[in-house]
Amino acid sequence: MGKKNYNSENQLKAWYFLLPALLAIFVFNIYPLFRAFFMSFQKGTLINPRFAGVENYQRLLSDPVFFRALKNTAFYSFTVVPIALILSLAIAWVIFEKVKYKSFFEAIFFMPYVTSTIAIGIVFRYFFNGSYGLINYLLEFFGLPRVNWLDSVSMSMPTLILFGIWTSLAFNIIILLAGFRNIEKEHYKIAKMFGANEWEIFVKITLPQLLPTLTFLLTVNLIGAFKIYTQVYALFGGQAGIAKSAMTAVFYIYDKFHVAGRPGLAMAATLVLFLLILSITFFQQLILKKVGRKR
Amino acid sequence: MIEVIGLQKTFDNGFEALKQVDFTIEKGELVCLLGPSGCGKSTMLNLIAGLLQPTDGDIRFKGESVIKTEPKDRNIGFVFQNYALYPHMTVLENIMFPLLVGDNKKKKGDAKAIAEKYMELTNIKELQNKKPGTLSGGQQQRVAITRALVQEPEVLLLDEPLSNLDARLRLKIREEIRRLVKDVGITTIFVTHDQEEALSISDKIILLEDGKIQQEDDPQNLYLEPENLFVAKFIGNPIINFLPIEIVDDRVKHASFDLPLTHFIEKRFKKSITNGKYYLGMRPEDILPSDSGPLKGKIESVELIGRERILHFELAGERVKSIVGVENEITEGTTVTFDLAYHKVFLFSFDGERIY
Repeated sequence: MGKKNYNSENQLKAWYFLLPALLAIFVFNIYPLFRAFFMSFQKGTLINPRFAGVENYQRLLSDPVFFRALKNTAFYSFTVVPIALILSLAIAWVIFEKVKYKSFFEAIFFMPYVTSTIAIGIVFRYFFNGSYGLINYLLEFFGLPRVNWLDSVSMSMPTLILFGIWTSLAFNIIILLAGFRNIEKEHYKIAKMFGANEWEIFVKITLPQLLPTLTFLLTVNLIGAFKIYTQVYALFGGQAGIAKSAMTAVFYIYDKFHVAGRPGLAMAATLVLFLLILSITFFQQLILKKVGRKR
Repeated sequence: MIEVIGLQKTFDNGFEALKQVDFTIEKGELVCLLGPSGCGKSTMLNLIAGLLQPTDGDIRFKGESVIKTEPKDRNIGFVFQNYALYPHMTVLENIMFPLLVGDNKKKKGDAKAIAEKYMELTNIKELQNKKPGTLSGGQQQRVAITRALVQEPEVLLLDEPLSNLDARLRLKIREEIRRLVKDVGITTIFVTHDQEEALSISDKIILLEDGKIQQEDDPQNLYLEPENLFVAKFIGNPIINFLPIEIVDDRVKHASFDLPLTHFIEKRFKKSITNGKYYLGMRPEDILPSDSGPLKGKIESVELIGRERILHFELAGERVKSIVGVENEITEGTTVTFDLAYHKVFLFSFDGERIY
C-alpha cells in the first residue's frame, strides 16, 4: 500500500499540465499589460527611459489630435457597428430564406474576410479615386455630382465608414447564417400553419432566437471597431487621411510610438483606449442583460 | 368530415410514397395511421396538413377540396414529433402565439383568456410561466397539444405523439390524449409505428404498407380478423406463427403433421379452397398444450413474462411460439403435444390473401 493521499477531484499533478499554458498566458498576456502601464509613466526612448510621473497623461489630454482621434474612433464605431449589423442581418436573412444556391453565395460573401484588408483597400482606393474612380463614374452616369472621397477633410471619415461597413459584413453574415441554421425548421412550419406572416415570424421567432448570436457580434464588432487601424492605413495610403482628418486612436498610438518616437505617450494613449473599450463593453453587457430580462 | 380520394404521392426522386389511397373519417373520430417506417403514413399526414402537394387524387374537408388551400386556412392543428415549442417563450406565450399572429389576431387580453381556458383543460396552468426547456417530455407534449387547440381547429393532426416519451409516461399520456380529444370533440388523426399505441386509443386504424391501405378497421378486428398476411404479421406481439403448408385432397400437410381439412370450420372459409401451397397463421395463444393434437415439439426455452409463459419449440425447422398461463408449469426439455384453436387460426394464399 502506497501513500493514502489520493483525491479524485483535486490532484497536484494537474499543475504540471497547466504550467505551459499558464506561463504563456503570463508572458504574453499579463506581462505586456503591466509593462505598458509602467511605460506610460516614463519618458525618453525605449533604451534610455526616465521616470516622468503623470506628464505623459497631461500631454495626452492637452493634445487636440488625440481628442480628434477619440472622437473619430467613437463616431466610426457607433455608426459602423449598428449599420453593418443590420445590413448583414438583412443580407443573411435573404440568403437563408430566398436564395437557391446558398453555399455559393455564402462563399462569395465570405471572400472579403479571407482577403487581406490591405489588398481590398488598394482596390477601394481605385474605386474612390476622385478623377478616374468607379464610384464617381457611376455617380456621373446617374447625373449626380462627383465627390472628392479621399482628398477632402470633410469626406475622409464618411469614406472610412463606408469602407468599414463593407469590411465588417463578411464575418457577420457567416456567423448569422450559422445562427439561422440553428433554428429548427419546425418552428417556421408550425408558425406558418398558425397563419403568422413573414414579418411576424421574423420578429417573434427568428430574432429572439438569434439574440445570443447578435450579442456576440455586437461585442466583437464594437471592440474591433474601437481598435480600427488597418482600414485607415489601407484606404489613405499609410496616412490618417488628409491633414490627419481620419486619425483614429490606434493610429495615434502607432504614430506616437513608431513615427514620433514617444513610447511613453503611446502607452498612455493605449491605457486610455483600453479603459474606454473595457467600460463600453461593460455597459453594453449591462444594457443587453436588462433587455434580455425584460423579454 | 375528411375524405381522401384516390390519393397518390410520388416524390421528385421517383419514390412512390402513396400509390392509391382512399378513406373517410367521420367527425369526432380518433383515427390512427399505422405502419412500419417508410409505409407512407407521415406523407399522408403532411398531405392532409398541406405541407406536401399530392401528385394525384383529392382531399376533401366537409365535401370541399382543400388541396389548393394553404395550411393556415385548412382549420387544422398540428403537433410535430419534436413538439416544436418556441424555446424563448414561456408556456403561456407559446400557447398564445397562434392567437396573436395572422389575419384574425386577437387582443392580448382575449388571447390570454382563451389560452387559460385550454390550459385548464389540459391541466398545465401551473406551468404557464416556465420555459419549455425546463419541462419534462410529457409536459412539453401537453403544451404542444394545447397550442394546437387554441385556434379551435376542426382537425387535430399528431405526428408520432408519443415516441419522444419514456415507456411508463407513454401509457399515461395516451390515455390523456384520448380523453382530451374526446372532451373537445375534435376529429383527430395521429401517426404511429407502435401497434400497441394504436390499438389502445384509436376508434379506427388505417394500416398502411407500401403506399397502400392494407386494412381499415376497428382496432380489435385488425387483430382478430386480419385481411391479409401483412396485417396478421404486423399486428400482435409476439408475432404470429406462420407455417408453409400444402393442401392435398382435403388434407393439410406439413413436414411435421398431416391433418384433415374437416377440422377447420366451414363457414370461416372466405372462398372455396383448392389444392396448393398456403400459409397457416396461428397466434401464440391459439396453440394450446393438449392431451392430443397435431403439433408436437420439444420445448427449447421458456420465457417467463409476468403472468405469461412463452414456450419456444421447433416444427420441422420452423420456430414456433406458444403462450400459456404462468401456472402451466411446462419446463425446458419436455416434449409437449399442442392442439389448435381452429376457430381462430388463419390460412393465407402464398401472395398473402386471407382464405380462412
